[in-house]
Amino acid sequence: MSTWDEMTDDELLAALGEAVAERSAVSERRREAARSAYTWRSVDQELAELLHDSALDAGAAVRSSADVPRSISFGRSGLTLEIEVEGDSVLGEVVGEGAASDPTQPTTVTLLRPGGDERQVETDAAGFFRLPDIGPGPTRFIVERAGWTLTTPWVTL
Amino acid sequence: MDATHPLADLVRAAREGDSSAWDAIVERFLPLVDAIARRHRLSEADGDDVSQTVWLRLVEHLDELREPAALPGWIRTTARNECLRVLAARGRVRLVDPQDDTGLGLDAVELDVADEELLAAERRQLLREALDELPAARRELLLLLLADPPVGYEAISERLGIPIGSIGPTRARALDQLRRTRALKGIGPELVGGDTR
Repeated sequence: MSTWDEMTDDELLAALGEAVAERSAVSERRREAARSAYTWRSVDQELAELLHDSALDAGAAVRSSADVPRSISFGRSGLTLEIEVEGDSVLGEVVGEGAASDPTQPTTVTLLRPGGDERQVETDAAGFFRLPDIGPGPTRFIVERAGWTLTTPWVTL
Repeated sequence: MDATHPLADLVRAAREGDSSAWDAIVERFLPLVDAIARRHRLSEADGDDVSQTVWLRLVEHLDELREPAALPGWIRTTARNECLRVLAARGRVRLVDPQDDTGLGLDAVELDVADEELLAAERRQLLREALDELPAARRELLLLLLADPPVGYEAISERLGIPIGSIGPTRARALDQLRRTRALKGIGPELVGGDTR
């Protein structure tokens, strides 16, 4: 690829034209969504770590990933959230360690959407839950059990 | 604040809660995120989702960003990873193991091609950054020269208050100045921490 100095004025202006056109091509819908992301800003929020995402797993992806449900896991200080996306349903399991390990404690899982929609479900006694009718889109989960909280980073389902 | 402010100022202000600084960061890098989504041939809806996730992640990441100059690279990497994840999750791509030449499905995206196209997308981002570095009058002249439908020299002369005869030479000077911007010299958006090379 040529350096900028090697380009003639006409070539440079043409390249600049393409760059500027890309800026005007941005949809108002995406701009609004990007701007409104800022309303989610919260200082000093500690997020769970993404431990695994099968969509990033090259081994699983070589097999047809359409046949195998996507699985994602998050963890933070004693709590682990594992989810599987099966069609329109999100199935999951909350696993606790140490003080958060008591499965008889009521556990809620909240699924958040950037627009403010949220869905909440309680896990069964073994820590399992199911959220039906979940469409694609940016998503965050919040798990609460006996004073312990796990907030995940945003992921695209 | 607008997109022509130094990136370090925009990042600092956005961290401190200035939403106009955030909007300016969006304005500056949204075309890059868009271009990356397009190169990965995402559907319009998936492109919307990836874009929004990238910005939500950046909101989470703002405080950890020690070096504002690292922001373009962070955005590029995050956008690219998010595209690959969504493609994999939709079963549209198989990340090919180089040892295994049987993995390439008919609908697999050619990632090698995408690499070259990503480089071109980054060059266009640098050009936009360079344009934003120029003094307003020079930037305006270049934008008028690129306008679609085209604007004639006479109209440009009237709009900018410069004689028709000096448009050509001013264009040449503006393009020279563009080549000498930090963005095109490869110095990066701006230096933070007193390095005044």
